[in-house]
This record gives sequence, C-alpha cells and structure tokens, in this order.
Amino acid sequence: MVKLKRIAVYVFLTAAALVSVFPIVWMVVSATNQSVEVTKGRLIPGAYAAENFSNLIQTIDLVPALINSMKVSISTTVLSLLIASLAGYGFEIYKSRAKNIVFNILLLSMMIPFASLMVPLYRMFGSISQTIPAIGIDTLTSAVLPTVTTAFLIFFFRQSTKMFPKELVEAGRIDGLSEIGVFFRIYVPTMKTTYAAAAIITFMASWNNYLWPLVVLQSPEKMTIPLLISNLGSSYSPDYGIIMMAIVIATFPTALVFFLMQKYFVAGMMGSVK
Amino acid sequence: MKKVLMLCLSAVLFLSACSSSDSDSSTSDAGADSNKVTIWAWDPNFNIAALNMAKEIYEKENPDVEIEIIENAQADIVQKLNTGLSSGTSKGLPSIVLIEDYRAQSFLQAYPDAFYEMSGAFNKDDFAEYKIAPTSVDGKQYGLPFDSGVTGLYVRTDYLKEAGYTLDDLQGLDWQQYIEIGKKVKEATGKDMITLDPNDLGLIRLMIQTAGSWYLEEDGVTPSLAGNEALKEAFEIYKGMMDANIVKPNSDWSQFVANFNNGDIASVPTGNWITPSVKAEASQSGKWAVAPIPKLSVEGAVNASNLGGSSWYVLNGDSAEQAADFLGKTFGSNKEFYQQLVTEIGAIGTYKPAAGGEAYGKEDEFFGGQKIISDFAGWTEEITGLNYGMHTYAIEDILIVEMQNYLNGKSIDDVLSDAQAQAEAQLK
Repeated sequence: MVKLKRIAVYVFLTAAALVSVFPIVWMVVSATNQSVEVTKGRLIPGAYAAENFSNLIQTIDLVPALINSMKVSISTTVLSLLIASLAGYGFEIYKSRAKNIVFNILLLSMMIPFASLMVPLYRMFGSISQTIPAIGIDTLTSAVLPTVTTAFLIFFFRQSTKMFPKELVEAGRIDGLSEIGVFFRIYVPTMKTTYAAAAIITFMASWNNYLWPLVVLQSPEKMTIPLLISNLGSSYSPDYGIIMMAIVIATFPTALVFFLMQKYFVAGMMGSVK
Repeated sequence: MKKVLMLCLSAVLFLSACSSSDSDSSTSDAGADSNKVTIWAWDPNFNIAALNMAKEIYEKENPDVEIEIIENAQADIVQKLNTGLSSGTSKGLPSIVLIEDYRAQSFLQAYPDAFYEMSGAFNKDDFAEYKIAPTSVDGKQYGLPFDSGVTGLYVRTDYLKEAGYTLDDLQGLDWQQYIEIGKKVKEATGKDMITLDPNDLGLIRLMIQTAGSWYLEEDGVTPSLAGNEALKEAFEIYKGMMDANIVKPNSDWSQFVANFNNGDIASVPTGNWITPSVKAEASQSGKWAVAPIPKLSVEGAVNASNLGGSSWYVLNGDSAEQAADFLGKTFGSNKEFYQQLVTEIGAIGTYKPAAGGEAYGKEDEFFGGQKIISDFAGWTEEITGLNYGMHTYAIEDILIVEMQNYLNGKSIDDVLSDAQAQAEAQLK
C-alpha cells in the first residue's frame, strides 16, 4: 500500500516536472532550429545553432545590451539589499509607536500597480532631466532608481529579522559597537541566507524588468536585454530561431545566479516562513 | 559573504561611475540639436529597412543632417508614446514615429498639440485615397501615408485544382461563394480552407471594409454595431465558415504562419505584408497565387480591402521642420525610392505615381509568375476610404467575446445590440 502510494506520488511529480521543464527544453531546442521548423513545432535539436547565433549577433547589439542589463541588475540588487535590509532591521529592532502605521502604509503601496505610477514617474524624471541630466530620462541610472527598493523586500527582511536573536544586538551594544556597527558586523553576517534569497529575487526581477526600462530608455545603446528581445519579435515575419537563441542567452545569467546561490536561497526562504 | 558584498559594492560604484559619465556626454548633444532627426519604427525587415534606404538617399543631399533610426516593437512604441505624451514631457520622444492607421486617430485626437501638421510637406492627392481619413483631422494632414495594407486571397492552386477550380474561378467572389469553394476543397483534399485565431477579428475588419463599413460611425466616435448590415453579414459568414467545418483554428501568430507553411490550409485572406512569411517555405514555390479578396454581398461592396498598414508622423519639437522635410523628399515624392522599396524589401507603398514603375510589373516565380505587386497596387486604389476613428481595438475586444456567444447560439441581433450597449457604456 505504502509502495503504491509512493509510486503514485512519483508519477505525479514526474508529470509535474515534465510540464515545467518542457518550455525550457522547447526553448533550447528551438534555438538550434530554423524559424520555419520552429513554427512547425519541431522538437528535435537541429543544426542551426551556430547560424542562429551569428544572425543574432548581426541583427542586434547583444554584448552592449548584456552589459547594460548587468549594470542595471547589479546596482539594483546591491542598493535594494542595503536599503531594504536596513529598513527591515529598523522596523523590527527599534521601538516606536508610529512604526506599525508606517509599515502598514508601506504594505498598502504594494497594491498599487506599477502601470499607474508610470506617468507621474516619467514626469518626475522629465523634470529631473532639466537640472541633473545624468540621472534623468534615457540614462541607466533612471532605470535603476525607481526600483532600488520595494515594499515586498522590506517586508521580507522584517519577517526574517523576527527570528534574529535580539540578545545579539544588546551584546554588541554592551561591547561598545555603534548602531551601524551592530548592523554591519553582527546582523549582516548572521542573515546571509536571507541576503542570498533576497539577492536572487531582486536580481531576477531586475534582469527581467521590462515596463519601466522600456519607457525610460530611448537610445539603442542603452537598451537592456528584454527590450532587445521584444524588438526581435516585432517583425511581420519574425525569425523564431533567432528569438529563441536570444532568450536562451538572456536566461543564462539568471539561471547562473540562481544555481550559485541555490542552497542559501532555499535556507533563506525557509527562514522567512518559520 | 563579506568579501562578496564588498566586491559587489565596489563593482557597483565603478559601474555607476562609468554609466553616469557616458550618459552625460550623450544627453548633452541630444538636446537642442535641430539637425538631428530620430525615428521610431518597428520591423527590421520592413519599416526599418525602408527607413535605412530613405536615410541613405536623404543624407547624400543633406550631409549636415543626422538621422537616427531606433527600432522598437509596435506595442512598445504605443506604450512609450502614450507615457511620454501624457506626462507632457517632450524629453526622450523622437522626431518621427510610425503609427498603425487603426490607432492613429486616438493619438491625434488625444494629443492634438503634439503633432506637426504635414500639409505643406507633400501632396496628399498623390496617395491612395483610403489612407487620408485615418491620417488627418478636420482636413489637416498630419500623417504621411506609408505602407499599403491592401489584402489579397492567397491560395494554394494545387489544392484548388484537385477540387476542380482554377484561379479564374476566384475573380470577383463573395464570401458565400468562398465558403462553397472551401467545402469542395475540404472534400477533395481534406485540407481546411482557412485558419483563424478566435482572439483576432482581423477577418471581420477586412470583410466590413470591402463594404466601406466600420465599427464606428463616420464621426469616428459613435459605435455602429447594432443595425450595421455589413457587420451582421460578416458575423454570419464567420459562423458559416465554422459550421461548414473549413476552419483550422490557431492561437497565435506562429501557429498562423505554421498552418500555411505546413500546407495545412488552402487559402489565406490577409494583407500583402504576409508575402515574406508565405515565401519563407521555399518548397511551396509555384503552388501559390493571389486572387482578389472576396467581398460582402451588401450593396456597394468591392473586391478590395485593407488590413493593417501604417503612416509616418512628425512630433512637434526642435527638429520638426527638418523631419518633415526628410519625409517629404523621400516617402512623400520620390518615385525611384518606391521602386527600390519594392525590389529590395517587397514593401508596397500607397504613393500612386510609383505604381507605373518598372519594379511593380515584375513577375514573381513563387506565385507562378503572377505580377503580384502590380495586382496589389491596382487593388490599393479600389479600397473604400474610411475613418477608422478612435476605438477600433476597444470595440474589437467587446466583439471577440460576443462572437463566442454568437457561435454558441445567441441570435445575431442580440449579439450586436448587446455589443452596441457595452461599447456605448465603455466609450462614454
């Protein structure tokens, strides 16, 4: 009976795994086929990987876009981790009557869809452009700034901080550390799994971010990877082989980040649930 | 972990330092330069290729003008343009933008001050008449018409032959006859006549334009669904196709293309811009032909229609005059340029004087030696002109749902009057 149950579970899991892996397999296989074959639904790897790749390099400026995406994603990740963890730490460790109200307002802001903030944000950056063009419209900085922290990330850090032993903070203070010292010397090293999980989430979100970079980045040399991929599909007769090759390449960095930090990620997610 | 963090931090400082320095240099020169014309368009093989040819011609005569062509997907351009225009900041917007004809009026009317009037830059009588209404407001010409969305009935002559038809049998068809032919073809070959995506009513749009009708009244804002004879007939034909079991459904563009590349369907009634996709399957060379599009049976309907197509618009700004001059001297009046467009990228314009040129009369072996370009150019001039108005896609979203209700058995008059009520409520 137990054995039967186990078999059933494995059959179900295998089916679920196949369903989730299939799109990825299809993407990789399609990257090695000609466009016509892709639309016909061919599922066997073909011999056109090299051709698709060289066509891709010729049609779009892949490397500059990858570098742009890297710049944006890494800056966003580092800045958001710093800001969100400081905020989450502050919300949990320090006592203040207003803190729960402020926190609730922050959580409410999660409900506002980004699309509705876009026009006012664009306006803001438009007027910033008049005075400080370096962070105005059409700069990579402007693609980073509105996303440097999210209410979700602050929430995530606050939840994780709940299981951070407060005694450590007091011990640090008694031993003469400043408040900033306590944060950087005690909190940050203890919470590294949380940081890893947050880093993966933020990096992926930023790497795949589409709407805001689309609106704010104008020059071709500033475009990030998702924008270029969108352009590839814009044609009346799109070349699916090339598009799939581009997506494979664009997926690679996020996959890499995930696998490198996977063990911390799982630990960090578990931690926040406890 | 600490080391990693330090590394990341220093990397960011370094990166942000270099990113801000290079943005400095480019923003300063993009500002008030009236000799720099930036253009947004989509499709590298079509619009962008056409722009590059125009740029080459224009820059030869005007070496001091810099033309920058930026490629964006169509949906992206709509998004960027809407955000930019509604925030009232001209920063970051291009000098010239390509807009699809169905959407043009909503931009022109929502942002009346944003567009530069082009009446002086070219002669609108040189262009196909049906392009003028969507590109102008109150008699003022804002858009310079570009590609023709003229439609044709792409057919597999080999399948038709098996069913006992020749290309001559397809001249001057109406849609009812088309269904009859479809049934015979299915009987003889087992192939479906047409492939349709239930979420795209392009076929309905194409049908009603053969009768000079649209989703909206001539004013461009009042929905005209209930009591619209052409629309009613188009819906009935659509259902007729479904009932006759000659439709192979598709759910997106790639399946749509796959269905004819695979040889699963016998005909594709659509815009001429599909030609490259049809020709992509080289093994089918010689098996295709293009017939005139079938028409509705309402009075005044013609065997010519349009699907898609877009035009160039100039945005007000420092370089507006320069931009208008660029368009006027290339897309607006250069007959040779249009010959080049046809031979090199297969783009059929709506500039009438170009139709007499040599390139238009060329035979295409893929289509059994048919002179498809000159056929398309001829049909372009027969298309009934329409004001597509403001809300084409909003109404279509309503109709997509109502079409499903209709296919499930709701009566046609209820379907259209319900759609009318919804459209009126939504577009108030």
